[in-house]
Amino acid sequence: MSTGRLVIVTGKGGVGKTTVATALAAAAASEGKRALLVEIARPGRLSSVLGVPSLDHEPREIATGLSAAQLDEERCIQSLIEKLVPIRMLSQRLLSSRTFQVLCAAIPGILEAALLNRVRHYVERTTAGSPDFDLVVLDAPASGHSVPLLAAPRSLATLSLLGPLAETLRRIDRLINDPARTSVAVVAIPEDWAVAEARELRSALAELEIALLPPILNQVWPRRFTQKEERALNAARADGSIDPNLLLAGDVFRYHRQQAQEAVRQLKQDSGERPMELPILFGEGMSLGDLEPLQVLLRALVIHA
Amino acid sequence: MLDELLDGTRVVVLLGAGGVGKTTSAAALAMAAAQKGLRVVVLTVDPAARLKDALELPDEPGYLHRVPLPPDASGTLDAILLDAKGLFDDLVQRLSGGGPLATGILENPIYRNVAGAFAGSDSYMALEQLLDIAEDERFDLVVVDTPPATHALELFDAPDRILALLESNALDYLSEPLRLVGAATGRLAQGILTTLVGALERMTGMHLMRDISQLATDFAMIAPAFRQRAKAIRELLHGDETRFVLVSAPEPHIASELLTFAHQVDQAGIPIDSVILNRVFNLAYLSTAEPLPLHSDPKADQKPARWSAGLARKLVQCNRDLEMLEDDQLRRIAQLREGMQAVGTHPEARLWIELPTLTPSPTSLRSVQTIASRLSRAAPDNADPVG
Repeated sequence: MSTGRLVIVTGKGGVGKTTVATALAAAAASEGKRALLVEIARPGRLSSVLGVPSLDHEPREIATGLSAAQLDEERCIQSLIEKLVPIRMLSQRLLSSRTFQVLCAAIPGILEAALLNRVRHYVERTTAGSPDFDLVVLDAPASGHSVPLLAAPRSLATLSLLGPLAETLRRIDRLINDPARTSVAVVAIPEDWAVAEARELRSALAELEIALLPPILNQVWPRRFTQKEERALNAARADGSIDPNLLLAGDVFRYHRQQAQEAVRQLKQDSGERPMELPILFGEGMSLGDLEPLQVLLRALVIHA
Repeated sequence: MLDELLDGTRVVVLLGAGGVGKTTSAAALAMAAAQKGLRVVVLTVDPAARLKDALELPDEPGYLHRVPLPPDASGTLDAILLDAKGLFDDLVQRLSGGGPLATGILENPIYRNVAGAFAGSDSYMALEQLLDIAEDERFDLVVVDTPPATHALELFDAPDRILALLESNALDYLSEPLRLVGAATGRLAQGILTTLVGALERMTGMHLMRDISQLATDFAMIAPAFRQRAKAIRELLHGDETRFVLVSAPEPHIASELLTFAHQVDQAGIPIDSVILNRVFNLAYLSTAEPLPLHSDPKADQKPARWSAGLARKLVQCNRDLEMLEDDQLRRIAQLREGMQAVGTHPEARLWIELPTLTPSPTSLRSVQTIASRLSRAAPDNADPVG
């Protein structure tokens, strides 16, 4: 059976996960693939980037080849339970009881498993034998919550289970841990806190044996000066022969470049893989069209997807 | 001025999305208040390792740690890392009066898995901790850094949620699992439920039903005390001595989130007192601040390098790009201000503080102090923003 691929985008809050996930899905769509962008219950952000009033549990095509959906925790639990308890009246009763919600909370990992099961459903959905989506991009929660999310089905599945629940968990785990189908992109920006978090996250994910894409370094400032020009700038600073405001403007670019180089060096240190650098977008909004420059770069990641 | 924010204030709660510098702002605000002579505690939820180092906090949650201040500071500053699980355990201990009841609850496997989720997670625990410190006579002010929330009301709902749960008799129900599906559902349904519970028990390796029913019985004993705490928290949040500060950054989606946030908070009847805007790009500030730490190689600088017209053009281009960046931010900030005005923010004492980007990231106590002194110098909203 042929199925689509899954890319999970994660990183510390504020590094542009949604931007990267959106650009990645749009890049795939521009390559003629059918891409689905999935957001986990974080209302507002993705729909405003995509310029649609709201997103739903059910994927909706918003541009050629690009669909989007928003996971709803309750409905994910619901579909999982409906699968496990095939009698509708009974599953409805269970779901409507507050007590059952407490019970669900008592079983570590069940919510995470339910969310990922829905994602798996998107990835494996087929029509007439071919997958509905070639690529599913999951805009995952901030890094602190990503590892528990991805580890949940595995830790649940290691228990010797029987029945439909066990089978469901095993299928999620098989998808997440299949490097041919699933990989994780960890996003950072050239700030020490974001880079440190990205490195920790990558090593935690590697321990879970989840395939990693090269780290993505977002909001990288352009390099404006050659080394020779930098020397000339230093000389001009020393003899005061230049307007300090102009010098400062140059310094701001040089400083950010320096930060980016340091971030690249650190990210490369762990895996030997050079991060993919995405440029900072000056004066752009955050709508789908503004992300074009990022899409072009991200195409390389999705071409073989 | 900062004085207005702190006047008659016992609690300052910082709200905002993740990744906007909320924790750093909380630390700096607490430090600014301590330098003004107050005895301050800053309660942080999940500080970055570097900030922890900057405040010289050991990696030990749940305890107060004295933060060293400059000699001219007349107050004191203590910091405490939230330990949600430990705090809940502690609360159970206290409310149950210790003894076998406490042990029974704390050692119950269901309790061990559910304590966090049951309590409305970190949000509720932050408030529990807040209540403790706010009642502590040794301190004048608590600054609370809240867990990143997508929905502002998560925090304010937390006490109500736990009250609702306690009052819904959910725990009574849990002690009799078959009432979940109702007696009339028939044998088949009950059979399936039994199978399902059996599967869950195998899956978790727990005696779910036995443990749940025991926990329910034990918990019923301390429920009234819990109810009182939750009520006290609600009163503290809605009281006159508590102020709310929104933290944001002038980036497009963060700014729009801030407004959504502000609306939600406003609808809950919680007045926003001040706004701290982090990472504002400000050329005028940079021109007076310490020079940016550029790496230099004195040996390479010995080699001659000639000035060129091309280089001058590049500099002019850099300058133009930065001015554009600044203009975009100014526009966004103006929109934000307008949006915030539409939301009923606290009219008298509103502070609008803009912290410039490229201030040193908080890697040392001194850099937190730098931010603190900028906060102290912040002007009221009708004056010019801090440059």
